[in-house]
Amino acid sequence: MVHFHIQNLTFQYPNKNRPTLDSVELTIEKGEFVLVCGQSGSGKTTLLRHLKSVLTPHGSRSGEILFDGAPLAEMDLREQAGRIGFVMQDPEDQLVTDKVWHELSFGLESLGTEPKIMRLRVAEMASYFGIQGWFHRDVASLSGGQKQLLNLASIMAMQPQVLILDEPTSQLDPIAASDFLNTVAKINTELGTTIIITEHRLEDIYHRADRVVVMDEGKVIANAEPRKVGKLLWQQSHPMFAALPTPVHVFYAAEGEGECPLTVREGRRWLTRSFENRQLTCLETDGEEGQWEDAPPALIAKELWFRYERNEEDVLRGVSLTVPKGSLFAIVGGNGAGKSTTLKALCGVCKPYRGTVEVLGRPLKSYQPGQLYRRCLAMLPQDPKSLFVKATVGEDLEEMTGDRDQIAGIARICGVTHLLEAHPYDLSGGEQQRAALAKVLLTQPQILLLDEPTKGLDSFYKKQLAQTLAELKAQGMTVILVSHDVEFCAEYADLVSMFFDGQILATHTPRKFFGQNSFYTTAANRMSRCLFQNAVTTEDVARLYRKNQEGRR
Amino acid sequence: MASDAFSNCHPATNAVFFAGAIGFTVVLQHPLYIAASCVAGATYYLLLKGRRGMGMVLGLIPVFAVLSLVNPLFNTYGQRVLFTVWGNPYTLEALCYGMAIAGMFAAMMLWFGCYSAVLTSDKFICLFGRLIPAISLLLVMVLRMIPNLQRRARQILGARAAIGKGISGAAGTKEKVAGGMRVLSALTDWALEGGIVTGDSMRSRGYGSGKRTSFRLYRMTVQDWALMAAFAALAAATILAGGTEAAYTPTLSIAAPGWGLAAYGLYLLLPSMLHGKETLQWFISISKI
Repeated sequence: MVHFHIQNLTFQYPNKNRPTLDSVELTIEKGEFVLVCGQSGSGKTTLLRHLKSVLTPHGSRSGEILFDGAPLAEMDLREQAGRIGFVMQDPEDQLVTDKVWHELSFGLESLGTEPKIMRLRVAEMASYFGIQGWFHRDVASLSGGQKQLLNLASIMAMQPQVLILDEPTSQLDPIAASDFLNTVAKINTELGTTIIITEHRLEDIYHRADRVVVMDEGKVIANAEPRKVGKLLWQQSHPMFAALPTPVHVFYAAEGEGECPLTVREGRRWLTRSFENRQLTCLETDGEEGQWEDAPPALIAKELWFRYERNEEDVLRGVSLTVPKGSLFAIVGGNGAGKSTTLKALCGVCKPYRGTVEVLGRPLKSYQPGQLYRRCLAMLPQDPKSLFVKATVGEDLEEMTGDRDQIAGIARICGVTHLLEAHPYDLSGGEQQRAALAKVLLTQPQILLLDEPTKGLDSFYKKQLAQTLAELKAQGMTVILVSHDVEFCAEYADLVSMFFDGQILATHTPRKFFGQNSFYTTAANRMSRCLFQNAVTTEDVARLYRKNQEGRR
Repeated sequence: MASDAFSNCHPATNAVFFAGAIGFTVVLQHPLYIAASCVAGATYYLLLKGRRGMGMVLGLIPVFAVLSLVNPLFNTYGQRVLFTVWGNPYTLEALCYGMAIAGMFAAMMLWFGCYSAVLTSDKFICLFGRLIPAISLLLVMVLRMIPNLQRRARQILGARAAIGKGISGAAGTKEKVAGGMRVLSALTDWALEGGIVTGDSMRSRGYGSGKRTSFRLYRMTVQDWALMAAFAALAAATILAGGTEAAYTPTLSIAAPGWGLAAYGLYLLLPSMLHGKETLQWFISISKI
């Protein structure tokens, strides 16, 4: 049975000079799990929004969308609200009411459901999603992951036949994200609800999809099952290939033989089969650390203790770390562990009640407030939006300095020269972040602090960010970042620290650090650790695979 | 907050009680009635808040004293002059009147404290939502927006502090004001942007597609009806029994209280008694185990 039939859909926004959707032809079967992917601006969101009339953007349009064989546009809005569920990106702004129970019942209230039936449906959903425990709570007290789960539950309470999700996990940390995606998969398998989802982070979801649709500049360039799409993108050397899960990467980068693995488990099996009962060459970690041991420190923190309120628990419980000059220093660790607070304490926004911070050889306390954030130290916050206060990016940059040459220089490094006239809120997530980075860099810091810089970025923007950071490092800047993004840290950081229970536990080079861990490590390492030691990046595994394959021949 | 039996009753029961308690407290000027209200209010407040409520209750004592002592300075009516202050008589009647007013104020504070702990915003909306659905939804959304804006304001201020644009880092008052204005405008932009998403989310869940119903979290139980009846009976008794007349200036004339005071006291203590009953039941059931 066909659920959606999109016939030759072309759509153009009024202010754009080329169509955002270009002759899209697509059918979606009942009960199917369809993953739509593509780079930022490829038209995925616009496509999804066409599948629900109230969300459809304004513009010129041709072609038709059929839902259950009838034109969607003719379907009653009330019926659409109940049958087609739509979860958006921002967990926070999607919530309407102040209480969890009220949010769950909001959709049913709008549809005029009988109070008795409503009670039952809400109870049912709360139990299914495990929300009973926080049923009476204020939504403001929930974590991001809980909020997004609530958004999903409040839509599922209306018992939709189709669930459309537009980058639902981009604002969540990896653990909450994988929980959320597990729930989505559970809805698909247990309830048979049709799922149409777009995502940046494909690791947790790619193998689950029945079909992957790849979009590029408004066109559907691939529409097949996951393994085939991987092969297709590799053959075309399409930029979207970079977004595919690690096992696929390793497989093609190593020019592997056999069937392409999609998950860590499959990857492990594929590697084991390739090298059964053989002596293998591995990577050595010796001598890597020495480079940073002798380097002069840019920042030293000793025994920092901090809590937000007098009666609360300590968030920092003796944080000590030494960041060598010119390094890219990454701090990884669980959610809500106090990583962001550490950054705030390092740059003096939070004042620890015990311990000292030394910045460039001088105690933090000896700096005047104006002095510290001029040519010394600056922080890019987690949400780049919190730095924008003007109507255009250009004006925002001018708030920092009147020097036009300097602005032009920084804008070039951050790649925002063409965006100076735009309103900051009109930019995509990745562009917003680069604009915010430009603003921070205008203080000419020697030490740059980044809070979750890869959050919500697609693989393309991540790579660009890494390039920008490399360029800044080449100019002698020290970069400290906290992140959940294990893959990013493994590939680009010089030193990685584990944060747990209010302390920094250990600091090593990425290879040694992730090579030792067995859970908190990269997918490449998890997949290859049964054979190769200390291989942490895709490149490492692919190189070892080729090397050992040659040895066999 | 510990579980409270009366808080678990239907919001209508709560609202009827507080309307009576606060209404009587405002109207009845008889010193014994005021004292009864203070004692019952403090008792229930402490039961609701536990140890943390002590600060508020003890804090009301100096407030009571100051209000009582200050009144005669402005109000010079009365016959028995105790002494003169700045050439004005300081009278016993005015002092008594001051104490009555201060007691009334203290009782009001206590009852409003209980009110906000018992009749939370969602209960309030449940009560009045059915009368004016559009306004009640608006209220809910405003309630949701306030903590949101506070959080975002903190986030913006923190982010700006870390690039040297913090409020404390600004040089002069003028710069501080300009910085504050910028934060405010950024906050507005952010809220408007969020509003678009919220609007989409509402329409996508069928808002505005026709008649709405509302989810009922609370049910009227037999106990609720019984409590309502008790409140009505005790309130009627308080009014009918009389003996509530009291005048302070120019001469003290205070009626002798009758059994109406007992009815009034019982009315005010009902929630505390309900609380006590459940606590007792707990202890009994625990001792059985």
